[in-house]
Order: sequence, then C-alpha cells, then structure tokens
Amino acid sequence: MTLIVGGAYQGKLAYAKGCYPGIQWIDGAVCTEEGIYDCGGIYHFHAYIERLMRKGIPVRQLAGALADENPDIVIVSDEIGYGIVPVDAFDREYRETVGRICTELAVYSDKVYRVVCGIGVPVKE
Amino acid sequence: MMHLITGGSGSGKSAYAEHEMVRYSEVRYEESVGDGRFPFLYVATMMPCGREAKERIRRHQEQRMDAGFLTLERYTDLAGLKVPDNAGILLECVSNLTANELYERNQNFDGAYEAVISGVRMLLKKTEHLIVVTNEVHSDINGYSRETEEYRRLLGKINCRLARLANRVTEVVYGAPVCIFSDVR
Repeated sequence: MTLIVGGAYQGKLAYAKGCYPGIQWIDGAVCTEEGIYDCGGIYHFHAYIERLMRKGIPVRQLAGALADENPDIVIVSDEIGYGIVPVDAFDREYRETVGRICTELAVYSDKVYRVVCGIGVPVKE
Repeated sequence: MMHLITGGSGSGKSAYAEHEMVRYSEVRYEESVGDGRFPFLYVATMMPCGREAKERIRRHQEQRMDAGFLTLERYTDLAGLKVPDNAGILLECVSNLTANELYERNQNFDGAYEAVISGVRMLLKKTEHLIVVTNEVHSDINGYSRETEEYRRLLGKINCRLARLANRVTEVVYGAPVCIFSDVR
C-alpha cells in the first residue's frame, strides 16, 4: 500500500501517476463505495470518506478493510487538518476522521509521501 | 539559481528568506571585492492598505536597508518591472502578487497565472540569484467560498510551476527549513 498526501492543488495525482503509471484510478468524489476494493488507486480519498459519512455509512473499519481486500492500493488524499477547528459539527468530525483513517493507512503503507509544490517528499519509505 | 521558499503563515519563512539572501550576499561580497558591487533587490508585493500595514512595511524596509537591500515595490504586472543591475533578488511574496493580479487587476485565472509566472521568469533572467517566497494555504478543510477556492487552486498551480523552475525548494516549518528539493551541490 502507498499513501500520498498533501494540501489541495499540490499536484498529488500527477505525482502519483508518475510513480505508478498504468494502474487503474478511481475518483473518490464520484466512485461507488465498493469501487475502492478493486481499483489500482484512488484519488480524492478524503471526498470518498466525506460521501460515506454523509450517507451515514460507518467508516471506522475502512483502513483495515482496505489492508485486507486491496493491500496494494495507492491512496491519494488531501490533508485537511491544518486550519482552525470548523464551527460545523459534521465538518469537525469529517476532518478528524480523515486524519485518523490516513494515520491508520500510513501504518499499513510501506511508502508514504507528502507532496509539496508538486514534489513528493518521503515521509516513510 | 532560484530558491523557492514556502510555509504556512507565521512559519518564519520571510525571516529565513531574508537570512538566506544576507548569507548569500556576505559570500558574494567576499568573493567580489574589487568588482562593481551591485545592490541586492527586495521586490515587495504587499499593497500598503491601512496604517498598520504601512507601518509594518516601513519597519521592514528599514531593517532591510541595514542589510544593504534596495526595495522595489511592485503590486501587479511583475513582468513589466524595470530591474536594475543587482547581485541578487528576493521576491516577497507570491501569494500577495497572485491576489493582486486577481482582485486589483481583475485578471482571470489564466491571466493571473501567466502574469505571475512570466514575472518570475523575467526576474530569473535579470539576476544570478533569485529567492521567491510563497505561501501554503492548502492544508485546511475545503470549506471556502468559490472565489477563495479559485484563489487557492491558482496559488497551488503557480507553486507547482515555480517549484519546477527552482533549483531549491524549502518549506519552513516553525522557523526550521526543511529541504523539499535541491539540485544545488
């Protein structure tokens, strides 16, 4: 498993596609819930979590399930936890959940990169 | 040689950038005794809006004058700036310049992008040593207005492009410089 994180608009997906050419990508903002288990990589992973949470689908087991069912997946997610704690209760929970799930995924991943200005910086290799 | 310096607000990236330029100027000064000594330029992009900003700008200018900087103010259309002969340029900062292109000059996304990139490329042609300060505004929850989100997207795209032009990219984390990329020995 590989986890690629970074702020919005940092060129994360372009970086990921450069590292993993030829794998099949799905967009977390629009894909099916099951799609994540048989793709090569997912981008907008934070949006995938948000969509599941808005539908009331539990996400606590998500990282573990991915490690079991799609252990070679490449996951690209925005880092969204660097600002002020949001006023909205859902936003608070969503923001926190993205952080917790990505932290768990980082444990399962053999490579973690953080993309800054389009450049991938190894966090774990 | 171009060095791109980024970081969050209050991370100490400005102080680091000025320090880097002073450090470089000291090396250069020692190397180039006897040559015609050109000034180090500071290109300031922040518009002096309100007394507080004006006071801050004045204080910073004085600080830099001691360090031997010549300050040029340029809020938009950086590519049109007349650049005197110099020993190095510090541009601060791309986030202000980008906002000015969008909101003062009313450029659209592509126009602002081109204006900022062509401005930096112009500076790169006019100096041996360019330091560019930009800003990280991208790691927050995405709950902004459409206008602000557009600005964030634009600055992200500009930062990625500038990083490709740069020989060194540094992220300043609470005063500590973290090397993101360097092809400098």
